[in-house]
Amino acid sequence: MIIGAIFNMLLSVDGPLNAVLGAVGIDPVDWLGDSSVAIFSVVGVHIWATFGMGLVVFLSGFATLDAALLDAARVDGASTPQMIRHVIVPGLSRTIQFAFVTTMIGMLTSMFGLLFVMTSGGPGGSTYLPEYYIWIQQGQMNRPALASAASTVLFLVMLVVGLAQIAILRRGLKEE
Amino acid sequence: MRGSRLSKWVIVVPMAALAIATIYPLLFTTNVAMKTQREYILDRFSVSSSLRWDNLSSAWVNGGMARYFVNSLIVVTAAVALLLIIGSMAGFALSHVRFRGSRALFLGCLAALFVPFQVIMVPLARTMADSGLIDTYPGLILAYVAQFLPFTIYLMTSYYTRIPTEIVDAARIDGNSLYGVYRRIMLPMGLPALLSVGVLNALFCWNDVLIALLMMPSPEHRTLMVGVTSLRGQYTADVPTFASGVLIAAIPVLVIYLFLQRQIADGVTAGSTKG
Repeated sequence: MIIGAIFNMLLSVDGPLNAVLGAVGIDPVDWLGDSSVAIFSVVGVHIWATFGMGLVVFLSGFATLDAALLDAARVDGASTPQMIRHVIVPGLSRTIQFAFVTTMIGMLTSMFGLLFVMTSGGPGGSTYLPEYYIWIQQGQMNRPALASAASTVLFLVMLVVGLAQIAILRRGLKEE
Repeated sequence: MRGSRLSKWVIVVPMAALAIATIYPLLFTTNVAMKTQREYILDRFSVSSSLRWDNLSSAWVNGGMARYFVNSLIVVTAAVALLLIIGSMAGFALSHVRFRGSRALFLGCLAALFVPFQVIMVPLARTMADSGLIDTYPGLILAYVAQFLPFTIYLMTSYYTRIPTEIVDAARIDGNSLYGVYRRIMLPMGLPALLSVGVLNALFCWNDVLIALLMMPSPEHRTLMVGVTSLRGQYTADVPTFASGVLIAAIPVLVIYLFLQRQIADGVTAGSTKG
Protein backbone atom coordinates (compact mmCIF):
# COMPACT_ATOMS: atom_id res chain seq x y z
CA MET A 1 0.00 0.00 0.00
CA ILE A 2 2.72 2.38 1.03
CA ILE A 3 4.60 0.92 -1.89
CA GLY A 4 1.74 1.88 -4.18
CA ALA A 5 1.92 5.44 -2.93
CA ILE A 6 5.67 5.59 -3.46
CA PHE A 7 5.42 4.24 -6.98
CA ASN A 8 2.63 6.67 -7.65
CA MET A 9 5.25 9.39 -7.39
CA LEU A 10 7.94 7.46 -9.27
CA LEU A 11 5.66 6.54 -12.15
CA SER A 12 3.76 9.77 -12.66
CA VAL A 13 3.93 11.30 -16.14
CA ASP A 14 6.29 14.06 -15.04
CA GLY A 15 7.92 11.75 -12.49
CA PRO A 16 11.48 10.52 -12.01
CA LEU A 17 11.27 7.35 -14.10
CA ASN A 18 10.17 9.28 -17.15
CA ALA A 19 12.86 11.86 -16.44
CA VAL A 20 15.48 9.10 -16.55
CA LEU A 21 13.99 7.67 -19.74
CA GLY A 22 13.92 11.15 -21.24
CA ALA A 23 17.61 11.59 -20.46
CA VAL A 24 18.45 8.57 -22.63
CA GLY A 25 16.06 9.74 -25.34
CA ILE A 26 12.97 7.67 -24.74
CA ASP A 27 9.60 9.41 -24.88
CA PRO A 28 7.76 9.59 -21.57
CA VAL A 29 5.37 6.72 -20.95
CA ASP A 30 2.11 7.34 -19.10
CA TRP A 31 2.70 4.36 -16.78
CA LEU A 32 -0.57 4.60 -14.87
CA GLY A 33 -2.73 6.65 -17.24
CA ASP A 34 -2.43 4.55 -20.39
CA SER A 35 -5.00 1.76 -20.36
CA SER A 36 -2.74 -0.68 -22.19
CA VAL A 37 0.23 -0.11 -19.85
CA ALA A 38 -1.37 0.48 -16.45
CA ILE A 39 -2.07 -3.15 -15.55
CA PHE A 40 1.52 -4.12 -16.27
CA SER A 41 2.77 -1.25 -14.13
CA VAL A 42 0.62 -2.44 -11.22
CA VAL A 43 1.68 -6.07 -11.62
CA GLY A 44 5.31 -4.98 -11.89
CA VAL A 45 5.04 -3.07 -8.63
CA HIS A 46 3.36 -6.06 -6.99
CA ILE A 47 6.25 -8.29 -8.07
CA TRP A 48 8.72 -5.73 -6.76
CA ALA A 49 6.85 -5.65 -3.45
CA THR A 50 6.64 -9.42 -2.92
CA PHE A 51 10.06 -10.25 -4.32
CA GLY A 52 11.74 -9.79 -0.94
CA MET A 53 9.44 -12.25 0.79
CA GLY A 54 10.08 -14.80 -1.93
CA LEU A 55 13.79 -14.30 -1.38
CA VAL A 56 13.42 -14.95 2.35
CA VAL A 57 11.44 -18.11 1.67
CA PHE A 58 14.07 -19.40 -0.76
CA LEU A 59 16.92 -18.44 1.56
CA SER A 60 15.47 -20.58 4.31
CA GLY A 61 14.89 -23.32 1.73
CA PHE A 62 18.52 -23.27 0.63
CA ALA A 63 19.60 -23.41 4.26
CA THR A 64 17.94 -26.83 4.55
CA LEU A 65 19.72 -28.26 1.51
CA ASP A 66 22.13 -31.01 2.49
CA ALA A 67 25.66 -29.75 1.80
CA ALA A 68 26.96 -33.33 1.70
CA LEU A 69 24.62 -34.05 -1.20
CA LEU A 70 25.98 -31.08 -3.14
CA ASP A 71 29.56 -32.15 -2.48
CA ALA A 72 28.78 -35.69 -3.54
CA ALA A 73 27.34 -34.47 -6.83
CA ARG A 74 30.40 -32.30 -7.39
CA VAL A 75 32.73 -35.22 -6.72
CA ASP A 76 30.73 -37.33 -9.16
CA GLY A 77 31.51 -34.70 -11.79
CA ALA A 78 28.14 -33.00 -12.17
CA SER A 79 28.14 -29.75 -14.11
CA THR A 80 26.40 -26.70 -12.70
CA PRO A 81 23.25 -27.13 -14.84
CA GLN A 82 23.14 -30.80 -13.84
CA MET A 83 23.49 -29.83 -10.20
CA ILE A 84 20.58 -27.43 -10.49
CA ARG A 85 18.43 -29.88 -12.40
CA HIS A 86 19.04 -33.02 -10.33
CA VAL A 87 20.06 -31.89 -6.87
CA ILE A 88 18.95 -28.37 -6.07
CA VAL A 89 15.49 -28.27 -7.65
CA PRO A 90 14.35 -31.62 -6.20
CA GLY A 91 15.77 -30.58 -2.83
CA LEU A 92 13.81 -27.37 -2.93
CA SER A 93 10.57 -28.88 -4.24
CA ARG A 94 8.70 -28.11 -1.05
CA THR A 95 9.95 -24.52 -1.04
CA ILE A 96 9.04 -24.02 -4.68
CA GLN A 97 5.53 -25.30 -4.10
CA PHE A 98 5.13 -23.08 -1.07
CA ALA A 99 6.31 -20.02 -2.98
CA PHE A 100 4.05 -20.91 -5.90
CA VAL A 101 0.96 -21.26 -3.74
CA THR A 102 1.54 -18.19 -1.60
CA THR A 103 2.38 -16.03 -4.60
CA MET A 104 -0.76 -17.14 -6.37
CA ILE A 105 -2.93 -16.43 -3.33
CA GLY A 106 -1.22 -13.07 -2.94
CA MET A 107 -1.88 -12.13 -6.54
CA LEU A 108 -5.50 -13.16 -6.31
CA THR A 109 -6.37 -11.53 -3.03
CA SER A 110 -4.02 -8.79 -1.98
CA MET A 111 -3.75 -6.43 -4.91
CA PHE A 112 -6.58 -4.22 -3.76
CA GLY A 113 -4.39 -1.76 -1.88
CA LEU A 114 -2.11 -1.24 -4.86
CA LEU A 115 -5.00 -0.84 -7.28
CA PHE A 116 -6.81 1.53 -4.99
CA VAL A 117 -3.83 3.81 -4.56
CA MET A 118 -2.24 3.58 -7.97
CA THR A 119 -5.04 3.57 -10.52
CA SER A 120 -8.43 3.34 -8.76
CA GLY A 121 -9.36 0.75 -11.37
CA GLY A 122 -8.72 3.16 -14.20
CA PRO A 123 -8.05 4.29 -16.79
CA GLY A 124 -11.34 3.22 -18.27
CA GLY A 125 -11.65 0.16 -16.05
CA SER A 126 -8.52 -1.41 -17.50
CA THR A 127 -7.11 -2.33 -14.09
CA TYR A 128 -10.27 -3.73 -12.53
CA LEU A 129 -9.71 -6.97 -10.67
CA PRO A 130 -12.60 -9.01 -9.23
CA GLU A 131 -12.07 -7.72 -5.72
CA TYR A 132 -12.02 -4.13 -6.92
CA TYR A 133 -15.22 -4.66 -8.90
CA ILE A 134 -16.97 -6.18 -5.89
CA TRP A 135 -15.89 -3.30 -3.71
CA ILE A 136 -17.11 -0.70 -6.22
CA GLN A 137 -20.49 -2.37 -6.58
CA GLN A 138 -20.96 -2.83 -2.85
CA GLY A 139 -19.40 0.27 -1.38
CA GLN A 140 -19.77 2.90 -4.07
CA MET A 141 -22.71 1.95 -6.27
CA ASN A 142 -24.74 0.38 -3.48
CA ARG A 143 -25.63 -2.68 -5.54
CA PRO A 144 -25.29 -5.50 -3.01
CA ALA A 145 -27.04 -8.06 -5.22
CA LEU A 146 -24.60 -7.57 -8.07
CA ALA A 147 -21.69 -7.53 -5.63
CA SER A 148 -22.88 -10.78 -4.06
CA ALA A 149 -23.20 -12.39 -7.48
CA ALA A 150 -19.65 -11.31 -8.33
CA SER A 151 -18.46 -12.68 -4.98
CA THR A 152 -20.07 -16.03 -5.73
CA VAL A 153 -18.38 -16.24 -9.12
CA LEU A 154 -15.05 -15.30 -7.56
CA PHE A 155 -15.57 -17.93 -4.88
CA LEU A 156 -16.14 -20.64 -7.49
CA VAL A 157 -12.99 -19.60 -9.32
CA MET A 158 -11.01 -19.57 -6.10
CA LEU A 159 -12.44 -22.95 -5.15
CA VAL A 160 -11.03 -24.48 -8.34
CA VAL A 161 -7.69 -22.77 -7.75
CA GLY A 162 -7.72 -23.83 -4.10
CA LEU A 163 -8.47 -27.46 -4.91
CA ALA A 164 -5.68 -27.45 -7.49
CA GLN A 165 -3.33 -26.05 -4.85
CA ILE A 166 -4.33 -28.72 -2.34
CA ALA A 167 -3.78 -31.40 -5.00
CA ILE A 168 -0.31 -30.02 -5.72
CA LEU A 169 0.56 -29.86 -2.03
CA ARG A 170 -0.69 -33.42 -1.52
CA ARG A 171 1.47 -34.69 -4.35
CA GLY A 172 4.41 -32.80 -2.87
CA LEU A 173 3.90 -34.42 0.52
CA LYS A 174 3.79 -37.90 -1.02
CA GLU A 175 7.11 -37.34 -2.76
CA GLU A 176 8.90 -36.90 0.53
CA MET B 1 33.52 -21.57 -3.64
CA ARG B 2 35.66 -21.91 -6.71
CA GLY B 3 34.81 -19.91 -9.77
CA SER B 4 36.58 -17.37 -11.86
CA ARG B 5 36.49 -13.63 -11.33
CA LEU B 6 34.03 -13.29 -14.21
CA SER B 7 31.47 -15.65 -12.72
CA LYS B 8 31.69 -13.73 -9.49
CA TRP B 9 30.74 -10.55 -11.34
CA VAL B 10 27.85 -12.36 -13.01
CA ILE B 11 26.44 -12.87 -9.53
CA VAL B 12 27.43 -9.60 -7.91
CA VAL B 13 26.17 -7.16 -10.54
CA PRO B 14 22.54 -8.35 -10.78
CA MET B 15 22.40 -8.74 -7.00
CA ALA B 16 23.62 -5.18 -6.50
CA ALA B 17 21.08 -3.93 -9.05
CA LEU B 18 18.32 -5.75 -7.16
CA ALA B 19 19.45 -4.33 -3.85
CA ILE B 20 19.46 -0.81 -5.29
CA ALA B 21 16.06 -1.30 -6.91
CA THR B 22 14.76 -2.41 -3.53
CA ILE B 23 16.15 0.39 -1.43
CA TYR B 24 16.01 3.30 -3.87
CA PRO B 25 12.26 4.10 -3.84
CA LEU B 26 12.48 4.47 -0.08
CA LEU B 27 15.48 6.77 -0.23
CA PHE B 28 13.78 8.75 -2.94
CA THR B 29 10.66 9.25 -0.81
CA THR B 30 12.70 10.30 2.21
CA ASN B 31 14.68 12.74 0.13
CA VAL B 32 11.58 14.24 -1.49
CA ALA B 33 9.90 14.62 1.89
CA MET B 34 12.77 16.90 2.93
CA LYS B 35 12.58 19.11 -0.14
CA THR B 36 10.58 22.23 -0.83
CA GLN B 37 8.09 22.04 -3.62
CA ARG B 38 10.25 24.35 -5.75
CA GLU B 39 13.29 22.16 -5.27
CA TYR B 40 11.31 19.09 -6.29
CA ILE B 41 10.01 20.63 -9.50
CA LEU B 42 13.42 21.98 -10.50
CA ASP B 43 15.29 18.74 -9.92
CA ARG B 44 13.70 15.51 -8.73
CA PHE B 45 16.91 13.67 -7.98
CA SER B 46 19.12 16.20 -6.28
CA VAL B 47 19.79 15.62 -2.61
CA SER B 48 17.71 17.94 -0.47
CA SER B 49 19.63 21.06 0.50
CA SER B 50 18.85 20.68 4.18
CA LEU B 51 16.95 18.49 6.59
CA ARG B 52 13.59 20.17 6.52
CA TRP B 53 10.72 19.03 8.70
CA ASP B 54 8.04 21.48 7.42
CA ASN B 55 6.51 18.96 5.04
CA LEU B 56 6.32 16.30 7.71
CA SER B 57 4.62 18.60 10.18
CA SER B 58 2.25 19.92 7.53
CA ALA B 59 1.20 16.37 6.56
CA TRP B 60 0.94 15.48 10.26
CA VAL B 61 -1.17 18.51 11.24
CA ASN B 62 -2.91 19.90 8.13
CA GLY B 63 -3.14 16.61 6.26
CA GLY B 64 -4.73 14.94 9.29
CA MET B 65 -2.11 12.20 9.52
CA ALA B 66 -2.00 12.58 13.31
CA ARG B 67 -5.65 11.58 13.56
CA TYR B 68 -5.23 8.65 11.15
CA PHE B 69 -2.14 7.49 12.99
CA VAL B 70 -4.02 7.31 16.29
CA ASN B 71 -6.92 5.49 14.61
CA SER B 72 -4.55 2.89 13.18
CA LEU B 73 -2.77 2.50 16.48
CA ILE B 74 -5.99 1.90 18.42
CA VAL B 75 -7.38 -0.59 15.95
CA VAL B 76 -4.19 -2.56 15.35
CA THR B 77 -3.29 -2.80 19.04
CA ALA B 78 -6.73 -4.00 20.06
CA ALA B 79 -7.02 -6.44 17.15
CA VAL B 80 -3.59 -7.98 17.73
CA ALA B 81 -4.19 -8.31 21.48
CA LEU B 82 -7.51 -10.07 20.89
CA LEU B 83 -6.00 -12.28 18.18
CA LEU B 84 -3.17 -13.40 20.46
CA ILE B 85 -5.44 -14.15 23.42
CA ILE B 86 -8.00 -16.10 21.39
CA GLY B 87 -5.37 -17.68 19.16
CA SER B 88 -3.21 -19.01 21.97
CA MET B 89 -6.19 -20.35 23.94
CA ALA B 90 -7.65 -22.00 20.85
CA GLY B 91 -4.24 -23.37 19.88
CA PHE B 92 -3.83 -24.95 23.31
CA ALA B 93 -7.35 -26.40 23.27
CA LEU B 94 -7.05 -27.79 19.75
CA SER B 95 -3.64 -29.34 20.31
CA HIS B 96 -3.84 -30.75 23.84
CA VAL B 97 -7.42 -30.89 25.04
CA ARG B 98 -9.66 -33.65 23.75
CA PHE B 99 -13.24 -32.56 23.34
CA ARG B 100 -16.10 -33.41 21.05
CA GLY B 101 -15.76 -31.73 17.71
CA SER B 102 -12.22 -30.51 18.23
CA ARG B 103 -11.08 -32.13 15.01
CA ALA B 104 -13.98 -30.61 13.08
CA LEU B 105 -13.21 -27.23 14.60
CA PHE B 106 -9.59 -27.39 13.47
CA LEU B 107 -10.63 -28.46 9.98
CA GLY B 108 -13.06 -25.53 9.96
CA CYS B 109 -10.18 -23.18 10.70
CA LEU B 110 -8.15 -24.71 7.89
CA ALA B 111 -11.06 -24.31 5.49
CA ALA B 112 -11.47 -20.68 6.52
CA LEU B 113 -7.83 -20.10 5.56
CA PHE B 114 -8.73 -20.86 1.97
CA VAL B 115 -11.68 -18.47 1.79
CA PRO B 116 -10.48 -15.15 0.41
CA PHE B 117 -11.78 -11.99 2.02
CA GLN B 118 -13.33 -10.72 -1.21
CA VAL B 119 -15.80 -13.57 -1.15
CA ILE B 120 -17.18 -12.68 2.26
CA MET B 121 -16.91 -8.91 2.09
CA VAL B 122 -20.47 -8.24 0.97
CA PRO B 123 -22.17 -10.29 3.69
CA LEU B 124 -19.68 -8.93 6.21
CA ALA B 125 -20.49 -5.34 5.30
CA ARG B 126 -24.22 -6.01 5.50
CA THR B 127 -23.95 -7.81 8.83
CA MET B 128 -21.87 -5.03 10.29
CA ALA B 129 -24.32 -2.41 9.00
CA ASP B 130 -27.32 -4.29 10.39
CA SER B 131 -25.72 -4.69 13.80
CA GLY B 132 -24.75 -1.04 13.94
CA LEU B 133 -21.03 -1.81 14.07
CA ILE B 134 -20.13 -0.11 10.82
CA ASP B 135 -18.03 3.02 11.21
CA THR B 136 -17.11 2.15 14.81
CA TYR B 137 -13.79 1.04 16.24
CA PRO B 138 -15.18 -2.23 17.63
CA GLY B 139 -16.55 -3.02 14.17
CA LEU B 140 -13.21 -2.70 12.43
CA ILE B 141 -11.40 -4.49 15.25
CA LEU B 142 -13.84 -7.40 15.07
CA ALA B 143 -13.48 -7.55 11.31
CA TYR B 144 -9.69 -7.79 11.61
CA VAL B 145 -9.93 -10.43 14.33
CA ALA B 146 -12.34 -12.47 12.24
CA GLN B 147 -10.18 -12.14 9.15
CA PHE B 148 -6.86 -13.15 10.70
CA LEU B 149 -8.05 -15.60 13.36
CA PRO B 150 -7.87 -18.76 11.21
CA PHE B 151 -4.23 -18.05 10.35
CA THR B 152 -3.43 -17.31 14.00
CA ILE B 153 -5.17 -20.42 15.32
CA TYR B 154 -3.55 -22.58 12.66
CA LEU B 155 -0.03 -21.39 13.47
CA MET B 156 -0.53 -21.57 17.25
CA THR B 157 -2.03 -25.06 17.05
CA SER B 158 0.80 -26.40 14.94
CA TYR B 159 3.32 -24.82 17.31
CA TYR B 160 1.66 -26.19 20.44
CA THR B 161 1.35 -29.65 18.92
CA ARG B 162 5.13 -29.89 19.18
CA ILE B 163 5.00 -29.42 22.97
CA PRO B 164 4.94 -32.95 24.47
CA THR B 165 1.72 -34.05 26.14
CA GLU B 166 3.78 -35.28 29.10
CA ILE B 167 4.42 -31.70 30.16
CA VAL B 168 0.71 -30.94 30.18
CA ASP B 169 -0.05 -34.20 32.02
CA ALA B 170 2.62 -33.49 34.63
CA ALA B 171 1.21 -30.03 35.25
CA ARG B 172 -2.28 -31.49 35.55
CA ILE B 173 -1.09 -34.09 38.08
CA ASP B 174 0.56 -31.33 40.08
CA GLY B 175 -2.93 -29.94 40.54
CA ASN B 176 -3.23 -27.28 37.88
CA SER B 177 -6.56 -26.49 36.35
CA LEU B 178 -6.78 -26.31 32.56
CA TYR B 179 -6.51 -22.55 32.83
CA GLY B 180 -3.50 -22.97 35.12
CA VAL B 181 -1.77 -25.10 32.50
CA TYR B 182 -2.52 -22.47 29.88
CA ARG B 183 -1.29 -19.67 32.09
CA ARG B 184 1.84 -21.35 33.51
CA ILE B 185 2.97 -23.65 30.69
CA MET B 186 1.42 -22.76 27.36
CA LEU B 187 1.74 -18.99 27.46
CA PRO B 188 5.43 -18.92 28.46
CA MET B 189 6.38 -21.76 26.11
CA GLY B 190 4.42 -20.27 23.24
CA LEU B 191 6.11 -16.89 23.50
CA PRO B 192 8.29 -17.17 20.36
CA ALA B 193 5.32 -18.24 18.25
CA LEU B 194 3.11 -15.57 19.79
CA LEU B 195 5.69 -12.93 18.95
CA SER B 196 5.93 -14.12 15.32
CA VAL B 197 2.20 -14.31 14.85
CA GLY B 198 1.66 -11.01 16.63
CA VAL B 199 4.15 -9.17 14.44
CA LEU B 200 2.73 -10.63 11.25
CA ASN B 201 -0.83 -9.80 12.28
CA ALA B 202 0.19 -6.28 13.21
CA LEU B 203 1.71 -5.82 9.74
CA PHE B 204 -1.34 -7.30 8.01
CA CYS B 205 -3.71 -5.02 9.92
CA TRP B 206 -1.50 -1.96 9.58
CA ASN B 207 -1.14 -2.40 5.81
CA ASP B 208 -4.76 -3.29 5.14
CA VAL B 209 -6.81 -0.93 2.99
CA LEU B 210 -9.80 -2.95 1.85
CA ILE B 211 -11.31 -3.87 5.23
CA ALA B 212 -10.68 -0.43 6.67
CA LEU B 213 -12.27 1.20 3.65
CA LEU B 214 -15.30 -1.05 3.92
CA MET B 215 -15.80 -0.71 7.68
CA MET B 216 -14.92 2.96 8.24
CA PRO B 217 -16.58 5.20 5.65
CA SER B 218 -16.38 8.49 7.53
CA PRO B 219 -13.24 10.63 7.11
CA GLU B 220 -12.46 11.03 10.80
CA HIS B 221 -12.29 7.25 11.21
CA ARG B 222 -9.78 6.65 8.43
CA THR B 223 -6.83 4.46 9.23
CA LEU B 224 -3.37 5.52 8.20
CA MET B 225 -3.32 3.57 4.95
CA VAL B 226 -6.64 4.95 3.79
CA GLY B 227 -5.50 8.36 4.99
CA VAL B 228 -2.41 8.30 2.77
CA THR B 229 -4.66 7.76 -0.21
CA SER B 230 -6.85 10.70 0.66
CA LEU B 231 -3.71 12.74 1.09
CA ARG B 232 -2.91 12.10 -2.55
CA GLY B 233 -6.14 13.77 -3.63
CA GLN B 234 -5.48 16.64 -1.25
CA TYR B 235 -1.91 17.34 -2.30
CA THR B 236 -1.84 16.36 -5.97
CA ALA B 237 0.50 19.17 -6.86
CA ASP B 238 2.43 19.19 -3.59
CA VAL B 239 4.51 16.04 -3.96
CA PRO B 240 6.84 16.71 -1.00
CA THR B 241 3.92 16.87 1.46
CA PHE B 242 2.48 13.69 -0.01
CA ALA B 243 5.88 12.02 0.30
CA SER B 244 5.95 13.09 3.96
CA GLY B 245 2.60 11.43 4.53
CA VAL B 246 3.89 8.25 2.91
CA LEU B 247 6.97 8.40 5.11
CA ILE B 248 4.88 8.78 8.27
CA ALA B 249 2.86 5.72 7.30
CA ALA B 250 5.98 3.72 6.44
CA ILE B 251 8.09 4.46 9.51
CA PRO B 252 6.29 2.15 11.97
CA VAL B 253 6.46 -0.70 9.46
CA LEU B 254 10.15 -0.08 8.85
CA VAL B 255 10.87 -0.04 12.57
CA ILE B 256 9.04 -3.34 13.01
CA TYR B 257 10.96 -4.91 10.13
CA LEU B 258 14.27 -3.65 11.45
CA PHE B 259 13.88 -4.99 14.96
CA LEU B 260 11.79 -8.09 14.39
CA GLN B 261 13.17 -9.49 11.10
CA ARG B 262 13.83 -12.88 12.66
CA GLN B 263 10.22 -13.29 13.83
CA ILE B 264 8.79 -12.13 10.51
CA ALA B 265 10.98 -14.52 8.55
CA ASP B 266 10.03 -17.35 10.90
CA GLY B 267 6.34 -16.61 10.49
CA VAL B 268 6.49 -16.24 6.72
CA THR B 269 8.51 -19.37 6.17
CA ALA B 270 6.53 -21.54 8.60
CA GLY B 271 5.58 -24.57 6.55
CA SER B 272 7.81 -23.76 3.62
CA THR B 273 10.45 -26.33 4.49
CA LYS B 274 10.33 -29.69 6.14
CA GLY B 275 10.25 -29.92 9.90
